[in-house]
Parts: sequence; structure tokens; C-alpha cells
Amino acid sequence: MAANTDLSHRSPLLERPWVRWAVIGLVIVLMIVLPLMLPEFANQTIARIGVFAVAVLGLNVVMGYTGQVSLGQIFFVGVGAYVTAFGVNADWNILLVFVLACLVPAVIGLVIALAAARLGGLAIAMVTIALPIIGVPLAKRLSDFTGGSQGTSARFSDAPEWTGLYDDQWQLYIVFLIGGITFMLTRNLVRGKYGRAFAIVKGNEAVAGSLGVSPYRFKVLAFTIASLIGGVSGFLYMVVIQYTSPETLHFGHSIELLASMVIGGAGSILGSLLGGVWYVLLPQVTNLIDPNITAMLQGAILLVVLFILPGGLVSLPSLWRRRGRDAGSGRPGGPVGGAMQADAAASVAGASTVGDALGAPSTQPPPPTTQSPPPSTTQS
Amino acid sequence: MGTFIQLVIDGLSTGSIYAALALAIVLVNQATGLINFAQGGMAVLSAYVAWALNGLGIPLLLAILAAVVISFFLGAVIERYLIRRFERGDPDTAVVVTIGLLTLITGFCAWIWTYNNRLFPSLFPLETIQIAGAVISVRSLGTFIVIVACMLLLQALFLGTKLGLALRAVAINPASAAFSGVNVGRNLMIGWGLAAVLGAVAGVLVAPQLTLTPGMMDSALVYALAACILGGLSSPIGVVVAAWLIGVLENLAAVYVPFIGHDLKIAVPFILIFVVLFLRPQGLFGRKAVVRV
Repeated sequence: MAANTDLSHRSPLLERPWVRWAVIGLVIVLMIVLPLMLPEFANQTIARIGVFAVAVLGLNVVMGYTGQVSLGQIFFVGVGAYVTAFGVNADWNILLVFVLACLVPAVIGLVIALAAARLGGLAIAMVTIALPIIGVPLAKRLSDFTGGSQGTSARFSDAPEWTGLYDDQWQLYIVFLIGGITFMLTRNLVRGKYGRAFAIVKGNEAVAGSLGVSPYRFKVLAFTIASLIGGVSGFLYMVVIQYTSPETLHFGHSIELLASMVIGGAGSILGSLLGGVWYVLLPQVTNLIDPNITAMLQGAILLVVLFILPGGLVSLPSLWRRRGRDAGSGRPGGPVGGAMQADAAASVAGASTVGDALGAPSTQPPPPTTQSPPPSTTQS
Repeated sequence: MGTFIQLVIDGLSTGSIYAALALAIVLVNQATGLINFAQGGMAVLSAYVAWALNGLGIPLLLAILAAVVISFFLGAVIERYLIRRFERGDPDTAVVVTIGLLTLITGFCAWIWTYNNRLFPSLFPLETIQIAGAVISVRSLGTFIVIVACMLLLQALFLGTKLGLALRAVAINPASAAFSGVNVGRNLMIGWGLAAVLGAVAGVLVAPQLTLTPGMMDSALVYALAACILGGLSSPIGVVVAAWLIGVLENLAAVYVPFIGHDLKIAVPFILIFVVLFLRPQGLFGRKAVVRV
């Protein structure tokens, strides 16, 4: 489905191979040069964006691509961060620490998914909602391992002498390297056969079963991968922030991650990146406007963006094109979000898993290219 | 034995708060097919309105009634001008819309009334009575009775009135209801308004106990969601029973199971959910959904 979605947003020029390679080359050059040129604050902000873009990416694998509502992604980020802190403070080899920071959340995710994926629907949301809520008191209780409510810090990501770099530059390079590889691997995963299996499971579990795709197996797989990516994000969190406490696991952060994913664009790689940008920059922007009404502004902006772009920021280009095409006729908005869902389930009738989970009626959103006005749900 | 009875009755009292919020969530879910994460936030706003009106010198009971009426219209307006745009669209987006609404309302309350704790006067006297050796506060008992009365009223509305019939028709099949001449839009607004009223009742009942803060209902919302899953989203009676069960069990576990204690008692409903859903995936009282290909 990712392939479809992204193709529909791509202009013809970008489809030529040499253009794509040039863009990739340019991005890599920018990633190498930018940290050296930018001020410290900008580097730190970009590094934070990288951390949370990876977390949103994980959430997208389980929710955007496979259609299971997960409210617990921050828990896996937190576990990854705690494992990293513990390993670093115990003086383990940093490679071993990284592997453990990925594996421990993945194993926990696997165990939870083995039980939760069987339950299906909203049950997964409820089991995952429990993770951060139980995680916070648990992290306080297990103080030998986590440092209790004081939290624990680990400094291992200072720039080595021989590089001559500043700490923020070195940290940003680490984030670019590990985050970049995570994004590339995930992109290949969701565009390959696993991605198609995820899309079928999201579209309709019964059909998936009849096609020989075990919904259970792929839901567990998606959840485990999401947990693993959460662990990667947790490791990067320690690289950049160097400190974690039970507050890291707070349920509110999980909700913000979910909102960022939808705002960025569910079921989209680029959307995950935009989600990370949203997660980090929105509080900074609203703080700049007026610190007294930060929370209120955040909620209001979130609603306004979804009002204009139900498909998330990633659907902005297609809204643009549509507006150009339909210039002067009818409403330009409409359920752009349909684009995200429609292609996943286009060949498959029935509601998505999320739809079932939240008890939504099984309406098919119209494919994004139709000229006809969207079904009138707004006017009565 | 006295402690045990006391724990059970206090559990029923807090469980009643979860029940009111859970009923509101079920009401909205049945009508519009989405989970309203802002339900707790709306309840807090209602409680603040009642508190502010009371501060203006209006008697408490009257202030609460006014807040309930205002909540009804607020709920209806939110449905009409915000939620309706997302009701039949992508469910992920709709969930995030309610999350945005929660952030907005919580932020609004914090802006107007700050994050400081406010003392909310109780409807019930601060006395205790003795029942079978247990010391029970009148407030706990009163909370329980008010919620039970609300439930009975709601049940009477749904089963005994024309409006209730229309609401149920819209919930079960909006398209057919529209064909039969039921005004779907108006009924959805009423459904949201009623949900907001239930939230308001929960808000003013819990506020004296927790003192009024913008985040007051956050954990109650989590418990209410747990009750919804445990009871099955299609069964109003189920969620109430589940909410009571959760309230009582977490109280008992906090005292009688040493490892759980007060800080980890929030884990109790989820362990319960895990066990129950393993045996009955549709919830304690829910109907099993039939999947057709």
C-alpha cells in the first residue's frame, strides 16, 4: 500500500531513476554537511526529531500499515532507553548495549502481541494503553534497575577526541546513521511482500485468511517489529537526551506519538518523518506564541490541521493538485484520508481492522482520484 | 470484616464514577462508532463550570444543574461542528480528533482556572455512618445512589420513550433510521449531549474527592475505557457492572495483595481484562460480532 500511496503523491519528474538518485545523493550530502554548519540548538532539535521520527515509524508499522491501534509505543521507547542506560552504566560494550536495547523491547513486544493479537480489535488498544500506565509505577518500583523516580542518566555519546567534533554534531551523526538505516530497512519491509501482507490483514482479516495470509502471524510480526523500532528510538533517545525517568513513559507521550503519526500521515514513510517534526516542533512553536496557552494551542492546531488535511501532512501535495484540478468547483477538502485507506483495502471489501476495533461502520472511502464530490457526511 | 465491607463500598463508589464515564463512552460509541477520548476532559470542564457558577453565589445544586444543561448543549455543538466531519471517515483520524479535543479542553481549563487544585464543595455531608462494623462516608454512599439513579433514568429513556427509540435506531443502523424518517443528525447531537451530561455528573461527584484540577479525570478515563472493554462496548449494563468490579477489585487488591499496593493498583483492571478477554473476547456481556466475507 505504501508504494501506491507514495506513487500517487509523486510527480512524474521524480519517477525518473536519475532524479531519484540525485535526490538521495543530495540528502546524504546534506546529512553530512548540515551538522557542521548549523548552530548547536538546531543540531539538537534535528537530533530530537530523528529520535521521535523513528518512534513514529514504529507506530506506523503496527497501526498505519497493519491497522492495529497501539497506545503503548512510548513504553517500548522507554524500555529501550532504560536498557541503554543500564548497559552503559554497567560498562558493557556499546554494540552489545545497542543490540539489547533493540532486542529486549522486541521480546517484550512479542510476548504481549502473542496474547493481544489473538484478542483482536479494541483489545489490542486496551492492552497497549495499559503499558505506559503500568510502566510508570513499575519503573518507580524497580528502582535498582531504573533509578526510581529520580531517573537515570548515561553519558556515552560525547564526541571522541580524534573527531574534533562538538558533542551535538557527533550525536546528530549517530542519529542520522542509525535512524537512516532504520528508515531504509522499514521502507523496504513495508514495500515488499510483508508490507502487502500487512495491507491485506489491515483490509480484511477474513480475506487475508482465505488468501493464506495468517492475520495472527502478521499482526504479531508487525507488533514485534514496532516494538523493536521503539527500542531503536529509545537507544537514540539516550544518545541525544542522555537521561531517562518514569516521566519518559508517561501515557500523554504515547497519545502525542499517536497524534503525530496521524498528523504526519498514517501508512507513510515520509509521514513518519513529518510526524517526528510535528512531535518536536509543535510544543516549541506554541511555547513561542504564548507559554500560558501552550496546551490549548496544541489541541486547536491539531484539530485545524486534521480539518483541512484528514490524511495528514503527507497528503498536502495531493490536496494541492486536486485544488488545481477542481479549481472553482465544489469543496477542495473532502476525505483525503481516504487515499490512505482506500488503496490498502481497494481490492478487498469490508472495514479495516481499526474500523472493526473502534466499531466504525464499514464504509469504503472513495478512491482519491474520483471527481465526484465526497459522500455528504458533513451536511444534514 | 469491617475493613472488607468498607473497601467494597468505597470500591462501588469510585466504580460508580468510572461507570458514569464508561456509560458516556458507550453512548457515543453506539451512536457514532468512535471512542471519545475527550470524555474525561469534557467532564472536567463541566465541573469547572459548576464550580465557577457556585463561586458567583448560585447555590451548589442549582449550579450543578446549570452546568449539566450547559454540558448538554456543549456536547451537541461539539458533535455538530467538529465530530460530524470525521464520523464516517478514517477511524484513526477520528480517534486523534478526540485526542486533540481533549488537549484543547484541558488546555482551556488550565488557561482559565490554572493548574492549582480547587476545593469543590460536596453535595453530601462529610459524615460517616456505621454499617456492620464498617465506617462508610455518606459521600461514597451518595455517589453510588446518584449514579444508579442516572442509570435507571437512562434505561427508562431508552426503553420507554419515543426519543429513546429513535436514538437506538440511529445507533443500530443510521441509514435505515434515516429512511424511516428519523432525523439522524439531530439524534447524534442528542446522543453526544446526553454523554456530556453523564460526564458532568461524574465530574461533580468526583471533584470534591480529588479536588478540581484540569487533569482530574485522566485516570478515571483510563478506568472507564477498561470498563468498556471488560463489559463489552455494546452493553450499557455490562460496562456498569465491569466498572463496579474494577472499583472493588482494585481496592481489595491494594490492601490485601502486598506487592500491588497503592501505586500499582491501576494494573488490576488490565490483568482482569487480560484474563477475561482470553476467555470471552467480546467482553463480559458483549455480543459476538459475526464476520462475513
